[in-house]
Amino acid sequence: MADVRLTSVGKIYAGSVPAVKDISFTVPDGGFCVLVGPSGCGKSTLLRMIAGLETITMGEVRIGDRVVNTVEPMDRDIAMVFQNYALYPHMSVYDNMAYGLRNRKTPEAEISARVAEAARILELEPYLKRRPRELSGGQRQRVAMGRAIVRKPQVFLFDEPLSNLDAKLRGAMRVEIKKLQRHLGVTAVYVTHDQLEAMTLADMLVVMNQGVVEQIGAPLDLYERPETVFVAQFIGAPPMNMIELTPTKGLPAGLDGVAGLPLPAAGARLGIRPEHLGVEIDGDARIETRPGDVRLALTVEAVEAVGAETYIHGRLGGDGQMIAAREHGKVLLPAGTTRTFTARREHLHLFDLATGRRIAH
Amino acid sequence: MEKRSYFAGKLLPYALLMPQLLVTIVFFYVPAGQAVYQSFLLQDAFGMSTQFVWLENYQLLLSDPGYYQAMTVTAVFSVAVTTLSLSAALLLAVQADKSLRGAGIYKTLLIWPYAVAPVVAGVLWLFMFQPSLGMVAGGLRRMGVDWNPYLNSGDALTLVVLAAAWKEVSYNFLFFLAGLQAIPKSLIEAAAIDGARPTRRFWTIIFPLLSPTAFYLLTVNIVYVFFDTFGIIHAVTHGGPAGATTTLVYKVFNDGRAGGDLGGSAAQSVILMAIVIALTAVQFRFIERKVNY
Repeated sequence: MADVRLTSVGKIYAGSVPAVKDISFTVPDGGFCVLVGPSGCGKSTLLRMIAGLETITMGEVRIGDRVVNTVEPMDRDIAMVFQNYALYPHMSVYDNMAYGLRNRKTPEAEISARVAEAARILELEPYLKRRPRELSGGQRQRVAMGRAIVRKPQVFLFDEPLSNLDAKLRGAMRVEIKKLQRHLGVTAVYVTHDQLEAMTLADMLVVMNQGVVEQIGAPLDLYERPETVFVAQFIGAPPMNMIELTPTKGLPAGLDGVAGLPLPAAGARLGIRPEHLGVEIDGDARIETRPGDVRLALTVEAVEAVGAETYIHGRLGGDGQMIAAREHGKVLLPAGTTRTFTARREHLHLFDLATGRRIAH
Repeated sequence: MEKRSYFAGKLLPYALLMPQLLVTIVFFYVPAGQAVYQSFLLQDAFGMSTQFVWLENYQLLLSDPGYYQAMTVTAVFSVAVTTLSLSAALLLAVQADKSLRGAGIYKTLLIWPYAVAPVVAGVLWLFMFQPSLGMVAGGLRRMGVDWNPYLNSGDALTLVVLAAAWKEVSYNFLFFLAGLQAIPKSLIEAAAIDGARPTRRFWTIIFPLLSPTAFYLLTVNIVYVFFDTFGIIHAVTHGGPAGATTTLVYKVFNDGRAGGDLGGSAAQSVILMAIVIALTAVQFRFIERKVNY
């Protein structure tokens, strides 16, 4: 067991812009760290640097108490699950799992014991003699997991392991991965672009954008206190509404109650999550107004009712920007009607217009 | 899943098969049938009379020690050329697959020899190794090696093997390189993390995944060695000295064209055809089973 410590890690490909810039964080022993961000943000590069598949241009990567910058992948005591599973097509499931142990000259008796144990945990026992091409996507995924766990590594690395599965299987495998990691107590670093996967798996979430870390923290902390506009809009679905407030240009029409906010002279962005916009229905004020609340007049353009909740898309002040609201239950407003939506003071997020950083208020 | 096409009429499918069937019939079945028929005939030296002799041509052939020598030469020649050209091509392809500076130029240069006609290839090698004029031969002589492909049968065989293998390396190289590039990079990375060092990675992962390519090339190379090396042998040694480089196909030409024994030559070509068909069948039956697709 070991922690993973990154200090000022950077990667520059020859004659190109930096892919990863000055990244430092520590994944505690037994922790589940998820690197999340849009494609091209450098998350996979960072993972491959931890694995030893990419050279480290700057900084230092430690696994346990050892600096591994120049250590070969095989000697880092890691196991990796690839996006395309990377199973050896010419070997049986058994041989796929045994390969890493055989390379390390493990006695055959111990190999078969370890493979049997992994097959039992992953419910792969009936398939040990099959070739990967005779398995379904979910089974291949489990073989890839099995290949990782038989080695009993100090760190698991996952490179978008679920993105080739269909939505239903992805949900089930997500739960299994989390259970397995808890059960084995192994440190894990997991890369994904799916924010739902990131939120549900992580103890520690690292949001990356254009090669830099935007924010690190527990998933719900990031949801509740995003430090940047990017994090605010990346975490949560539908994404957080952003309204530009520039005092010199005048406030957008249909927006009420922002006078008390500490707006910088240069302007700010006001962020409101869709689920924090409550609608008043037919004069029956379900929402009692408190001082400091912000009220938005939205003209409804589209209503998506999915049963347990309803998504309402409307224009601010009739012809302003589109705002999304998420209501409990069925709220079937006809298109074209104008309603007032209220957001509580404590649910408002303010970001500096120029830097995109959070402003305390 | 098998894909099947259905046609409304009966004529269309046959019409679509026609061009391929015509080519096969005109260029294979008709000449092959003619060879079989001719192998039962005996013609006098001036082509004045022809006699039907049943299997006499075959009997004569199978009691001719020269024919067995040609078989041995062919066996040695084909094993040597195939082994040499396949292994050299694999080595070059593995090197070219690495990301090197100028890899593109390197690959292009390696493909050129394939565009050289067999006779030209033979003459090229002859120029280098001709005992009195050749540069390499001169170098060998100065090093004290007694090199003479005109007199020494081992030297002659070595020279034609080198020329034939050199010409086939390009073709094999192309296929091996394509095969290597088709192996997903993540497989190699997974093996690296699984603790396999480069040599072990090659033999346990890369080579088994290349085996379909290698199998295909083995079949193509054997057919090449049996038939297409004629030009090289004809240009370099004329089958000599003393039949040391007379392969089966060269003997067919020599006995039929130069020796005027059309019946015997036809019988040889029938046997040669049978050998190649048998070899190909054996390859598909036994080697293909061990190949991982």
